[in-house]
Amino acid sequence: MIYLDFGATSFPKPAGVYRSVLGAMASCANPGRGGYEAAMEAARQVYACRETAARLFSCRPEQVVHTASCTQGLNIAIRSLVKPGGRVVISGFEHNAVTRPLHALGAEIQVAGRRLFDWQDTLEAFDKALTPGVQAAVFTHVSNVFGYILPVEEIADLCRRRGIPFVIDAAQSAGTLPVHFEKLGADFIAMPGHKGLLGPQGTGLLLCARPGQPLVYGGTGTASRMQTMPEDLPERLEAGTLNVPGIAGLNRGMAFVEKLGTAALLRREHRQLKRCAAGLERLGMRVFAGEHQAATLSFLPETDCEEAAQLLAQQGIAVRAGLHCAPLAHESAGTVESGTVRVSFGWSSSDGDTAAFLRAAAGIPRFQK
Amino acid sequence: MKHYFITFRSITFAQRAERLISRGGVRCTMQRTPKWMEEQGCGYALRVLSQDIRLQAEQLRQAKVPMRRIYWHKDDGMFEEVAL
Repeated sequence: MIYLDFGATSFPKPAGVYRSVLGAMASCANPGRGGYEAAMEAARQVYACRETAARLFSCRPEQVVHTASCTQGLNIAIRSLVKPGGRVVISGFEHNAVTRPLHALGAEIQVAGRRLFDWQDTLEAFDKALTPGVQAAVFTHVSNVFGYILPVEEIADLCRRRGIPFVIDAAQSAGTLPVHFEKLGADFIAMPGHKGLLGPQGTGLLLCARPGQPLVYGGTGTASRMQTMPEDLPERLEAGTLNVPGIAGLNRGMAFVEKLGTAALLRREHRQLKRCAAGLERLGMRVFAGEHQAATLSFLPETDCEEAAQLLAQQGIAVRAGLHCAPLAHESAGTVESGTVRVSFGWSSSDGDTAAFLRAAAGIPRFQK
Repeated sequence: MKHYFITFRSITFAQRAERLISRGGVRCTMQRTPKWMEEQGCGYALRVLSQDIRLQAEQLRQAKVPMRRIYWHKDDGMFEEVAL
């Protein structure tokens, strides 16, 4: 299989990740629930992962909350900042992981910036939308459909100067682009563990500048007589037994990213992105490419996007088609009716992968259904 | 050298304290807090071997690691709370 769906999850993982998962399953009991060696080893694995994340994202270990996914982290963050019916500003490229929790709260959603790869449009729109009365801003770092890198530092600066709390969805950027929690000054940054951070599925991190509202209530292994959740992070947001094997694997994945460096990883992925975009254009496809783009691109074949992806799958090429759980982003780009085919590169993508993809893409029928 | 117990509100704070104190060359180990020391239920503590526990306490204060209590474990087996 030629795997070009890193936007969905990284696959394969570095070999050390598998070893760490198995090692933790064999050696770890429940973290924070006992003083015997297997429980303490579990606690060490969990804390080691917090420390690695703290180094990678410039925060303190206790600000790193383990979640089951980026979506779970976003739900915690949004419910911590937004009251039912509250006004919220989001970008025009948000995933359903942001828009659905906001709709569930009955939030008054204002969409800012809909032009792809256009920082000026994005910044002008946020500048206009971030007015008194806005409870929070929630914006993605990178569009999961188009790879558009939003000007998050500048948007964060606007929010900070106006005293508006904000959440960054780093689903597509963590592990690929620099994410500096302290400098950004975000209230929360949510990220998955299994994409750019190369950990197993079922892992995620929420970086927190404040305690936040728990989404799940239950045991934390400490202060058991209290019938409210502890005030302290990270335990406040981590009720129940943690996914220790997953966390051990995530720690190994992050260590791999730390060793290689996000800049080197992005350079490598960008090389494939550019080759891919040029190749698709030569084939006459409509390619969504621009200046501020991470390692993800969408293209529009003349035929149905799902059929095109199916045809590629039959030739061993793994890409994703459809709306990518982000109809808002497709509305912004004018592709909500057609959907797109998304190609996303990762740490193991090679020239050979891109060449094989382009050979297969040449066989996509060039007619409208 | 004296034996001390520093108790914490969370295992994460105990772990951070363990890292900070050990990096300073002071021997310490993490363990469950003895039940009688923790009125809120369960918790974690550091057992520290130190000449002057006030130095480690100040180190943790500066690093913003909140402590609950400090106890001196005396040679006769009794514990005495140390004022923070």
